[in-house]
Amino acid sequence: MKGRVLLADDALFMREMIREIIEPDGFEVIGEASDGIEAVEQFRKLQPDIVTMDIVMPRLSGIDAVEQIVQIDPSAKIVMCSALGQEALVMEALKAGASDFVVKPFKPEDVLGTLAKVLEKADE
Amino acid sequence: MDIAKYRNLFLEEATEHLAEMSRSLLALEKEPELREAIEAVFRAAHSIKSMAASLSYDSIRSLAHRLEDRMERVRSAGRLEDPEDLGLLFRGLEALEQMVAVVRESGEAPPDGDAELLAALSGPAATEPDPKKKAHDPAPVARARR
Repeated sequence: MKGRVLLADDALFMREMIREIIEPDGFEVIGEASDGIEAVEQFRKLQPDIVTMDIVMPRLSGIDAVEQIVQIDPSAKIVMCSALGQEALVMEALKAGASDFVVKPFKPEDVLGTLAKVLEKADE
Repeated sequence: MDIAKYRNLFLEEATEHLAEMSRSLLALEKEPELREAIEAVFRAAHSIKSMAASLSYDSIRSLAHRLEDRMERVRSAGRLEDPEDLGLLFRGLEALEQMVAVVRESGEAPPDGDAELLAALSGPAATEPDPKKKAHDPAPVARARR
């Protein structure tokens, strides 16, 4: 098993898409969240190895959720899921403590490569 | 990728987002500074754009992207200040609803959208100062309709 993953995205469509990319490659999806507040709660409860985090979500944005998660665990591994044109928000998320990012629409090799890279860095 | 599965998810979620967009635009008509409604319209357009891009529904992606950008400007301004802007956003919503209906009925990507509407959505907001605009220049929507 490559890693236990929490998927945070308000769109079931996107969560399913990531799940279908990563599960056959050996990742285990241990939880899902549909807004930032739920993402923080699920992180606290499940303590995943890595989180995929959408930026634009209701109640609490992905960036604010990153800030709160990093306060809970400064070594948290979080990969932002951004859209084209969100470069400034991605920079903000990286400053807040996110580890890396992938761009929608997802390319399976990018998602898998980024998750593996972030987890490898964590092991160093 | 199981296209039928993702098309169904798209239809389900896009329909919810369009309903939310409609409710929020109606709320903004009464209360142009309503932050929750501004954010809801922005998020709905953003979500529809991302899903459409994943399914190569280029006409939906393009229109939703213009609506998202338009709402980004409203977010920055903190309010929807001009009825012309609201009319334009309602036209965008209606066009998106028609495109989603095409996907529902045919299972195929909708044809290219209304170029005039796309241009109007990309144009300056009616409330933004336009250095080239003269005092009696009509609003962008009216201009684009000529």
